[in-house]
Amino acid sequence: MAPPTATKLGYTPPDGGWGWAVVLGSFISIGFSYAFPKSLTIYFKEIQKYFSVSYSQTAWVSSVMLASMYAAGPVSSILVNRYGSRPVVMVGGVMVSAGMVLASFGSTIMHLYLCVGVIGGFGLAFNLQPALTIIGTYFHVKRPLANGLAMAGSPVLLFTLAPLNQLLLDSFGWRGSFLILGAILLNCCVAGSLMRPVNKHPQREPQSDSPASNRAAAEEGARGGCLQKFIDVSLFKHRGFLIYLVGNVVMFLGFFAPVVFLAPYARDIGIDEYSAAFLLSIFALVDMFVRPATGLIGNTSCIRPRIQYFFSFAVTFTGVCHLLCPLASGYSGLVIYAVFFGIGFGMVCALLFEVLMDLVGAHRFSSAVGLVTIIECGPVLLGPPISGALVDKFGDYTYMYYACGVLVAVPGIFFFIMNYYNYKKLDEEQRRSVAVEMRSDEEAAQHKIDHDEST
Amino acid sequence: MASATYRLQGDIMAASFLQLWEGGLVRRCSRQRGEGRNETPAYRDEDGRIRIMLTSWKLFRLHVLLFIFCRHVNTETPDPTPPPLVPISPLPIDARSVVLKGESHTEVVELLSPVNLTLECTWTGNQNKGPNITGFWRKDGHEIGNSHVTVELEAEQYNLRRVFHIISEENLGNYSCIFGREAKIDFVLSGPQIGEVRDKPIVSYVGDSVVFICKMDKTKPKPTAWDWYKANGTDREQIVAAEEPHRYEIKNKEGKTQLRMHNLTEADSGLYFCGAVYPISTTVGQMELQVITLYEPLKPFIAIMAEVTILVVAILLCEKCHPRKKETAGDGINDQTNMQTQTENNGSETSSMRQRKV
Repeated sequence: MAPPTATKLGYTPPDGGWGWAVVLGSFISIGFSYAFPKSLTIYFKEIQKYFSVSYSQTAWVSSVMLASMYAAGPVSSILVNRYGSRPVVMVGGVMVSAGMVLASFGSTIMHLYLCVGVIGGFGLAFNLQPALTIIGTYFHVKRPLANGLAMAGSPVLLFTLAPLNQLLLDSFGWRGSFLILGAILLNCCVAGSLMRPVNKHPQREPQSDSPASNRAAAEEGARGGCLQKFIDVSLFKHRGFLIYLVGNVVMFLGFFAPVVFLAPYARDIGIDEYSAAFLLSIFALVDMFVRPATGLIGNTSCIRPRIQYFFSFAVTFTGVCHLLCPLASGYSGLVIYAVFFGIGFGMVCALLFEVLMDLVGAHRFSSAVGLVTIIECGPVLLGPPISGALVDKFGDYTYMYYACGVLVAVPGIFFFIMNYYNYKKLDEEQRRSVAVEMRSDEEAAQHKIDHDEST
Repeated sequence: MASATYRLQGDIMAASFLQLWEGGLVRRCSRQRGEGRNETPAYRDEDGRIRIMLTSWKLFRLHVLLFIFCRHVNTETPDPTPPPLVPISPLPIDARSVVLKGESHTEVVELLSPVNLTLECTWTGNQNKGPNITGFWRKDGHEIGNSHVTVELEAEQYNLRRVFHIISEENLGNYSCIFGREAKIDFVLSGPQIGEVRDKPIVSYVGDSVVFICKMDKTKPKPTAWDWYKANGTDREQIVAAEEPHRYEIKNKEGKTQLRMHNLTEADSGLYFCGAVYPISTTVGQMELQVITLYEPLKPFIAIMAEVTILVVAILLCEKCHPRKKETAGDGINDQTNMQTQTENNGSETSSMRQRKV
């Protein structure tokens, strides 16, 4: 079964019931968080003309938004630890909405950086973390499925927002569109209202927690001091967390660039603009269905106990996909690549937070995800520009695909090896703790007998 | 597919006349008058070049007549008989030649300045290659008078050639050479086209400003000037930025022009045109502006806000009204491990639990 850390919750997650409404709420929040910055690119041409700036200066709006979203991760985690998911998501929804409304009255591009980028980015961060955290509180047995369904929000909302943004731009210009998008983003508050705090009825006994491990946990907590009260920095001593962190940092350097450069690569080898855009649609469509499917597969009894291996496989698969991309010839080759890439990308994204929950446990997940996002901020933002520089240097996309392939496949193999080691260690610890418990039970029983005899 | 090869051939008389007027008059002279055409003697030399001989008196009279009647000209292009022009200064010469193997072909010819253009059509014929075939020319669907020629089969090919004086915008268009009823080659003569013009209206707001950009492709030659026009009914009114500098701002760079309008009002809605001025013609790009008030997007904004408020209130009320159900769906998992241990969170709670169980 799952490692013992996951079950130190103190109550039994419902694994259903209102949990599915919570999944819907998370679906919306996660969807907006990931899809919204990407969908804003439709307005860039108009904004560029209006403010008479270069395209890269306009593209900074998306980058600042994404950077703020990742950087505000720890802040979001602290707030979730303190107040729970619901208030944070609702505040986040109001923030991002206010940011967009203010931006619609903007008179300089700096105004947009601040309103859309910083305020909007923070608002989205306050949506993302709580949405991921609350799934861990409502689900344990069906958690991979719940995660897969919730993460499917990203491609679905991207698919919806892209044509919607185009329609808004044609009808209302960029200012009116930002105003209306502000209203649309208020639906994050609806998502937040669905995130009812879980009923932590102390009716069920928790899993076997030996006194030894409890004492150790309490000590760890006390050691962190001031910062520990807000965010669990003892995670940096957690073996599984470190493996996850190291692998992810390298992986994200090469993870998003292939998506960004898929259409330009297609146009470079002579495919027309519409077919190139269609490749992205194929990719998004495949992604949309693979995420819940991955959740379902991850939930099966044979995969769930060793879900880390499934994640490692998904990462390696994606890396190999990129390495084989330059072999794709012509449009049909690229379509096949887009399908396989969609499968790989969907699998990794569906499992991305599930495996973190699996490693650190649901009660530490909030802090873990905050720390992970702020550290991943760097590679996520640097990845596409570095790949772009590679393309410019060699004048060819093949080297970029090789580089991305290596940057993703190597962490995949790293995950396989390290998780094998980690599982071995965890099994050892499990056996040791079971042995300690049995001994302490025997002692307690012996003590009771002695006590009874003496009275 | 026919491949285009280009050869040059010229008409000296027409070239001379046109070079004289090139500076200014030609742009306003959109047509040529065939005055005195039949009076001038001409002959075709061995190369096929047309030569005219004129006395000096006739020369002077011709100049005067052409100058006076510059505006009143007909639309007919000169026929292959010698044109009544004097060798004043030669026009540049250009030629386009297409070899047709199938049934039809269209060739786009981009012209910048007035030129004497020779269009040559070569057809390889079809199964029944007769010794003769009738060939003629059309401009914009209308037959060019006196252009019917009997073409002989030479080296398994039919050949039609004609010189056209392309002086101004009126001379541009769709020229076709037609062999009998079977083969047709179209030459589309035009100035450089403006790329990337937005076909959907640009939306802006009352009191806001808007920017229109017209760009000529980098590969195409740069225009000599850029003009901006606003549609006024069926006419076009030129926008002169100097007249209203606080409202209109025109910035021109080499291949790009930008019109910025400030303080928009609803009356500013409509069609706008940017014109790339070339010696031969002005290529026009069209764009539409729609000026709306802030109330337009405010309506969907308020509607969506209402929807969000209703949903949030409904969901929260629902929660308050129905008492919280016990969220304890997962049954069998933890029951078996019912041991007297402490939880991480509340030691006191579990001790009370233990008492209940025991």
